[in-house]
Amino acid sequence: MALSGMRGLSVFISDIRNCQNKEQERLRVDKELGNIRTRFKNEKASLFTLISNDWGLKEENAMPSKFSTLLSDRITLTSLVHVKGLSPYEKKKYVWKMLYIYMLGYDVDFGHMEAVSLISAPKYPEKQVGYIVTSCLLNENHDFLRLAINTVRNDIIGRNETFQCLALTLVGNIGGREFAESLAPDVQKLLISSSCRPLVRKKAALCLLRLFRKNPDVVNVDGWSDRMAQLLDERDMGVLTSSMSLLVALVSNNHEAYWSCLPKCVKILERLARNQDVPQEYTYYGIPSPWLQGKAEIYLRNFDFWHELGDTDSWCSREQREGVGLINRLNIKSLWWLLDHGCDIDALINLTLQVKTMRALQYFPTVEDPNTRRSLFEVLQRILMGTDVVKNVNKNNASHAVLFEALALVMHLDAEKEMMSQCVALLGKFIAVREPNIRYLGLENMTRMLMVTDVHDIIKRHQAQIITSLKDPDISIRRRALDLLYGMCDVSNAKDIVEELLQYLSSADFAMREELSLKAAILAEKFAPDLSWYVDVILQLIDKAGDFVSDDIWFRVVQFVTNNEDLQVTEAASLKAREYLDKPAIHETMVKVSAYILGEYSHLLARRPGCSPKEIFNIIHEKLPTVSSYRSKSGRYSATTRAVEYHALSMKGAALMDILAEMPKFPERQSSLIKKAEDSEADTAEQSAIKLRAQQQTSNALVLTDQRPANGTPPVSQLGLVKVPNMSNADQSTAEQGLTHANGALTVVDPQPPSTPSPDLLGDLLGPLAIEGPSGTAPPQSEPRVASGLEVGANEDALAIAPVEEQANTIQPIGDIAERFHALCLKDSGVLYEDPYIQIGIKAEWRAHHGRVVLFLGNKNIAPLGSVQALMLAPSHLKMELSLVPETIPPRAQVQCPLEVINLQPSRDLPVLDFSYKFGTHMVNVKLRLPAVLNKFLQPIMVSPEEFFPQWRSLSGPPLKLQEVVRGVRPMLLAEMANLFNSLRLIVCPGLDPNANNLVASTTFYSESTRAMLCLIRIETDPADRTQLRMTIASGDPALTFELKEFIKEQLVSIPVPSRPPAPMPPQARPTSPPSAALSDPGAILAGLL
Amino acid sequence: MIRGVIIMNDQGKPRLVKFYEFQPVEKQQELVRSIYRSRRAENVSNFVKVDSLFGPDVRLVYKTFATLYFVFIFDNSENELAMLDLMQVFVETLDKCFSNVCELDVVFNFKKVHTILDEIILGGQVLETSSSEVVKAVEEISKMESNGNSIISSIPGWQGR
Repeated sequence: MALSGMRGLSVFISDIRNCQNKEQERLRVDKELGNIRTRFKNEKASLFTLISNDWGLKEENAMPSKFSTLLSDRITLTSLVHVKGLSPYEKKKYVWKMLYIYMLGYDVDFGHMEAVSLISAPKYPEKQVGYIVTSCLLNENHDFLRLAINTVRNDIIGRNETFQCLALTLVGNIGGREFAESLAPDVQKLLISSSCRPLVRKKAALCLLRLFRKNPDVVNVDGWSDRMAQLLDERDMGVLTSSMSLLVALVSNNHEAYWSCLPKCVKILERLARNQDVPQEYTYYGIPSPWLQGKAEIYLRNFDFWHELGDTDSWCSREQREGVGLINRLNIKSLWWLLDHGCDIDALINLTLQVKTMRALQYFPTVEDPNTRRSLFEVLQRILMGTDVVKNVNKNNASHAVLFEALALVMHLDAEKEMMSQCVALLGKFIAVREPNIRYLGLENMTRMLMVTDVHDIIKRHQAQIITSLKDPDISIRRRALDLLYGMCDVSNAKDIVEELLQYLSSADFAMREELSLKAAILAEKFAPDLSWYVDVILQLIDKAGDFVSDDIWFRVVQFVTNNEDLQVTEAASLKAREYLDKPAIHETMVKVSAYILGEYSHLLARRPGCSPKEIFNIIHEKLPTVSSYRSKSGRYSATTRAVEYHALSMKGAALMDILAEMPKFPERQSSLIKKAEDSEADTAEQSAIKLRAQQQTSNALVLTDQRPANGTPPVSQLGLVKVPNMSNADQSTAEQGLTHANGALTVVDPQPPSTPSPDLLGDLLGPLAIEGPSGTAPPQSEPRVASGLEVGANEDALAIAPVEEQANTIQPIGDIAERFHALCLKDSGVLYEDPYIQIGIKAEWRAHHGRVVLFLGNKNIAPLGSVQALMLAPSHLKMELSLVPETIPPRAQVQCPLEVINLQPSRDLPVLDFSYKFGTHMVNVKLRLPAVLNKFLQPIMVSPEEFFPQWRSLSGPPLKLQEVVRGVRPMLLAEMANLFNSLRLIVCPGLDPNANNLVASTTFYSESTRAMLCLIRIETDPADRTQLRMTIASGDPALTFELKEFIKEQLVSIPVPSRPPAPMPPQARPTSPPSAALSDPGAILAGLL
Repeated sequence: MIRGVIIMNDQGKPRLVKFYEFQPVEKQQELVRSIYRSRRAENVSNFVKVDSLFGPDVRLVYKTFATLYFVFIFDNSENELAMLDLMQVFVETLDKCFSNVCELDVVFNFKKVHTILDEIILGGQVLETSSSEVVKAVEEISKMESNGNSIISSIPGWQGR
């Protein structure tokens, strides 16, 4: 054919195909575009000369916009074609090349005029190229298109049918409002013309549809509704199908005007369905006899052969190889029947038309006329019954399309229950067939069916099959099944469904777990037959998919359990919680919820084995590190809550005599607590603190901060101080009552302590109130852990805040400087350094590559600090400017020193603050690392797969993409690692890696040299060996990639807090709003502080 | 409405890209790439929800034929199985027009593929579902292309200008 004869084009395509890579392809394309551009430019010059001569245009740059606006009415494109220059053949060739290049994905921003001008070419080949390429390259608002309106119109009203077809296709594809206004009457004429060939008329119908969509006014309702009804009498299937599409659009816009079409649609449907009835299962559609007779037999034999072998799949691939998808459309029997009967084409039925007709009927709100309604239901009945689902189901798309459409129409018409149940039965068959498409649509339509109230019970009959679909190999089908189960769940079947969902949860893909757990949780709550079942379900949920159980859900459990009056339920819940704690690895949320429930109600279990307060306390402590290592606020919240609850437990007095009986020393201890508290009541917080420290040197004190609930408003300086004799039961520690509220006792660096919970601050606040266990007594572990939850910065054996030698000659820092530093790497405010005289706090704001840090220097004493000096030792990649530091800090005052930081390039080096002061005769000098770490210049950014993969691929290898196997990794769960990453501002993007053991994260790094740069991180872990992993880091800057890789490695390998097992990770603050609970509630106050 | 038709090969190279709602070229390529990435295994349903790419209620149906990957993108005014069937019509027609169509036919005759598609879908609507009708129309066009000269005299519309 003529097209393949175009040698230049073929050569070009071959060249492109031979390109080894994208770069070569680009070069070749650029060369070609350059060539075409030059050719067109010469052409354009002569064109322009011609036009400007004609119309007196002078400016060279008047084209093209002025050109088009000025001249569109007065000039037709025909005159342009006669410009000498490129031959039509050349023009055609270049325009095809442009389209090919455009398809490859290159912008072709010139030559549009040439393409459009071909439309007015006199010969068919050029005209055709013009029409096709124009409708691909231009959008409906393009100026040049307006130039073409006249030409297009001439083609439509002309008598050449092939030209008419081309013009209608263009208008139908890209015609805009202007086309609608000037062409609609002509197109309408073509559609209803009896002299036109069906080929033209069916295109006219769809063309009119487009124009109607662009401007509904162009179809005059009054005049056209009758015409439309007449069109439905059309015998030609093609024209009728197109008209039906047009009708769908018209009816969806204004169904009242086309009411008269409704009975006609039903008639069409009747006609089609009856035809389908006549040859029974043999009927099929659109099979041309010559072709069928020639080829079909061969394929049928093939099919039978493979079918007998039971190997249709290999037949299918064979069929694909041969490129004939015959079997997909044909019913085998009908083919044989057709072969036998010489194929009567006219008797065959257009199933697409049936689908369209039924779709059109769904746009009418109801069918009122009883006769029409009856016949419609008859037809639908016939369709629904007429297809033998099981037998025909093998890939018979068209016939099933009709069935599904019929189902939709039945639903729309709100049929009687009997018909509905028929539909559900049919759908029930669909969801059990082999063909995945049918299963998929079956489930989807069943979900739609749920909206029809009556059928609920019938759908329930298929519950087992739907549950089976949850295990379908196809995730889309699993999703549909989940939707359906969710929709069909009610009180009667909730138990079964939720339990199925829970069971499925363990094996469900990662991508679905979140949705699954949320749905299970909602259903459990909505339809729970009883409370214990609900609690049980949620605990299972947490156990199986803790990551996806949001805080709301477990909060609710706690709420239900707490508000519930039935002690049995509470006991069952506590018991369950207790059982989960015995599991070797449990989720953070489980620890939280168990701690809460047990904290509140473990007394109910007290007589059971393993449930004594001591044992419960121990086991919660054992699990606690999981929580604190998550560095989440909730974790601390729960730690505290638990402590508070234990305390509350101890306070229940008489009601809990059985517990008290098991702890004979308890009452005595309590009174000693109170006594001590009373003793110290007169002290100011400050003095108490000092006193406490002094005491700590000789005895291991154990103090728990709390406020007596009966006290009402907290007295600010009330202080609780308790001395615990060594021989007392250490495990009773939590039952101590301290009466303390140390607010304001020490300098608080952070202006909003509740919103930025900081262990350091807490340490400060609770400074005088260290909780400490006697290190020598049996289970020593538990107390230090309480301590670790509450006061950070204590030494290894939790010997309270102040080191023993505090009063000796040298001044010792309070707390671990390294740990403080690490904590600050993850948050923006907190204490950097503290000793008995000074506290240095930091509050930083990081924006892109800028940082604004404020150092808070607080003198804790009643004497001034002198000779204060701060020297900034900045690494080369940071530009730092520290404002003037005053030489003296007045007593109990705090000064603020702003520090400006600019990040020049990626580096892991750290700035050091050389700080010195003099107190009395002591000269103190410390060198403090400042947390201007690499991750401060990161800005988390969530990337979608669409953004991620191109980037990932384009950064193809070293030095931009580096990979390393890291060994000796601190073992942590994937969720833990994700948390760590998120806290480092490397945002974990779920769903990007199909392997659930891998982690993909992204972030943007800012520095002056790199500007904003996207960094992509992939971590592949080995679930069998958590101490090693492989990481791949990619960014657009080699130095950045390297530094980031090393940085992450440091985070994964080293344990930032080296010595203490209970708090392996520096605590991290999350921006959570402070709880606004009443201040009189001790739990709320502590929670607020944390 | 059918929003677009894409043919690409098993490496994701586009062989035919046709959108019935204008998309800028960058967007087109992005869509082609994301659709290529959303390919799925054999033996699963052929429908994919693509809300993220095209907005709500838009889905695509795809099918692999040898090395070629056919995709129709459509909204909820179309019947899913009817789309799958229409794709079959398209493939059958290609097969008839190129007698045992292979990827190279589509590559080098992309113009003819456009012509065929224009006879099956117009403005995002189904135009013809009988591949023999389509073949007839395409053959007529081919004839016109080879002897375009003779047509000119029979066009009153444009000589009268």
